[in-house]
Amino acid sequence: MAEVEETLKRIQSQNGVQGIIIVNTEGIPIKTTLDNASTVQYAGLIHQLVMKARSTVRDIDPQNDLTFLRVRSKKNEIMIAPDKDYFLIVIQNPSD
Amino acid sequence: MPVNFPDVQGKRDTVKEQVTEDMLKEVIDLYISETDSISLLDIPSTFVSVDADDAEPIMERNNQYAEACRSRMDNDKYVDQSVQTLNGATKNKQVQSDSIVMVDKATTVTSWDVYDSLISPDVSVGSTDSTGNNASGWVLSPVMSLLACIILLCFSSASAASSLKEVEALGNSLNAESDLQLIMLSEKFQHCLLVMERSILGNIFQPQLAAYRQLPVIEDPESPVKPGMGEQREEDAESPRSPAVVRLWAFSCELSRGSSVSSMAWNKKNPDLLAVGYGEFGSSNQKPGLVCCWSLKNPTWPERVIRCDSAVTSLDFSSNNPSQLAVGMQDGSIAIYNVKSRDNKACFISSSGCPNRHLDPVWQLRWTQQELSLTGEEKVESLFSVAADGRISKWFVSNNDLMKLKKKSVLSALTPGLCFDFHPTDASVYLVGTWEGLIHKCSCSNSQQFLETFKKHFCPVNHVTWSPLSPDVFLSCSADWTIQLWKQDHHKPVLGFTSTQRTVCDIKWSPKWATVFGAVNEGQLEIWDLNSSILDPVIVQPAAAGVKMNSLLFAPQTDCVLVGDSDGQVTVYQLRNLCVGDSSQVTLKGKVAFSMQRLLLAWPVEAKCSGCQLGTAGKINEWINELCKYIKNK
Repeated sequence: MAEVEETLKRIQSQNGVQGIIIVNTEGIPIKTTLDNASTVQYAGLIHQLVMKARSTVRDIDPQNDLTFLRVRSKKNEIMIAPDKDYFLIVIQNPSD
Repeated sequence: MPVNFPDVQGKRDTVKEQVTEDMLKEVIDLYISETDSISLLDIPSTFVSVDADDAEPIMERNNQYAEACRSRMDNDKYVDQSVQTLNGATKNKQVQSDSIVMVDKATTVTSWDVYDSLISPDVSVGSTDSTGNNASGWVLSPVMSLLACIILLCFSSASAASSLKEVEALGNSLNAESDLQLIMLSEKFQHCLLVMERSILGNIFQPQLAAYRQLPVIEDPESPVKPGMGEQREEDAESPRSPAVVRLWAFSCELSRGSSVSSMAWNKKNPDLLAVGYGEFGSSNQKPGLVCCWSLKNPTWPERVIRCDSAVTSLDFSSNNPSQLAVGMQDGSIAIYNVKSRDNKACFISSSGCPNRHLDPVWQLRWTQQELSLTGEEKVESLFSVAADGRISKWFVSNNDLMKLKKKSVLSALTPGLCFDFHPTDASVYLVGTWEGLIHKCSCSNSQQFLETFKKHFCPVNHVTWSPLSPDVFLSCSADWTIQLWKQDHHKPVLGFTSTQRTVCDIKWSPKWATVFGAVNEGQLEIWDLNSSILDPVIVQPAAAGVKMNSLLFAPQTDCVLVGDSDGQVTVYQLRNLCVGDSSQVTLKGKVAFSMQRLLLAWPVEAKCSGCQLGTAGKINEWINELCKYIKNK
């Protein structure tokens, strides 16, 4: 448990990481380092995106599943690790 | 007619007779008999048999009636008359029932949804019975949720259904805390975090890792171009391409800061995994040592951290079992760790209980494949160690216990061994460097005598290493500030190198180029290329201020060099613009060496003797200078 906390702290302190959000299956953020408004916005929007991405992957081959999703935009990169029980979302600005 | 009031029910008072126990016990006789027939309805038949007595008058009467019916229309005897039934007064009565709730529900079915429903029939309809189930009980696919809604509606009224939903929502907000705990403890989350950390670091270290892997370094097109960078890039393009090392990154973390790097080893199977041993040397107190397994994918935190009882002096990964790491320590014990397990107590074998163990620091360890096993297919791997107590031991791992098989004590207690190296093709021959400066060539089969002795150094030989690409050539470096190049059959070194007046800590051949080797003395990293110059190193990289460079390792399959220093950092340098000519065999060097040796032997005797004594490192250089000029002029 302490190891997990330590890893989260390390990730938070890496260069350019803007925020970390952990969302549960219903789309409710359960742990976040951003402010409330952004968290709720990210959680809702990304939830839909991950559902769509997962549906796409599984439609092509039902035995396949989504393991990682990276969205690179002009200003930052959103990395999402989805799972059956939760999503882990990290927003990073790599050029910092 | 009496009017019935069915709604009004009168109560009839009945008097109950008290039943006593005696009455219950009384035996009462009951007689059952047949009653007389009770006729409820009796309609006599209107059919009369033809054979009956009064058949004739009945038939006559029938005929008369038929005739009367026929003549009924015009006859005055018969008159038509109608009758009306009275309709009673109606009364309205109203009944109210619950309204039927209608809900529209639609779903899109996808192929994976159908697959899931077929494969996993145990996804049950969720219900808010326990908090533990809640996290997983509501993960329903759209098809199942459609069915769930229908079932809920059938079995409950609308009001009940809405209250259920309220209970759900309330229940979920309370469960967020427990969800978080559950998630944080699960192993999948840890794996998730690992991948995430690596992706983040991949972004940060993108150009350096690309350079390491010899991929073209692509500039990020969207990143803001800094004004200073543009000029620097132009400068680089214009300057002549001279060999240099470029610092890529450094493996360091707060755990290792302060301890000095004592040894490094690559994993034999996974070329991205590096084990580094740390330990404090020079101080009298025995601080606990540390072994960190670093992965190239995460230069900021090691994958595995193993704390050892005493300072770590040497490391090696096994080839047969790639996850076994043998660690030699300053107190003489050897431990084998399994790096696959995340547990800190991953040591499964230690030699501390062994009676024949070393008592002095184990300076070097090596796994070697030597004998064929009984089946003749796999080579048995054994662990060799050389320690300061003057013994070279061969260890055999069996039944989770480290057993010493044969004691190769070719050295006495007066001559501690510092380093050794096995011949790359003939695994039974090895070289040992000693504290006195002698290098012995020994064989595994003969543990009493040396095969040969090479004398040149007069200070402890820190490292000895065979060339991986040229047979029979090896290098040795020592605290007498020199590096010597030897050929196996010659008792005198073929070439000697000095560049600074410092003890040379480590020396390694390049795995790719036969004429290139690297050396670290305490103050700088030197890369020598024998093809270009035998007097000066081709590349010199000074150490950072206040830091001494300790150990060196070439990276396989890529042109990078790792340097460990006394601050606990392992810096990765990339060799650039090192133009090496023919790198297959050390032929040119051989010619130079041979001719030099001929000249050395031809020189007057005094010069030869004086060249072998103390304090003549500078003089050796002079001689070599002159010889080179001589050869070049030839």
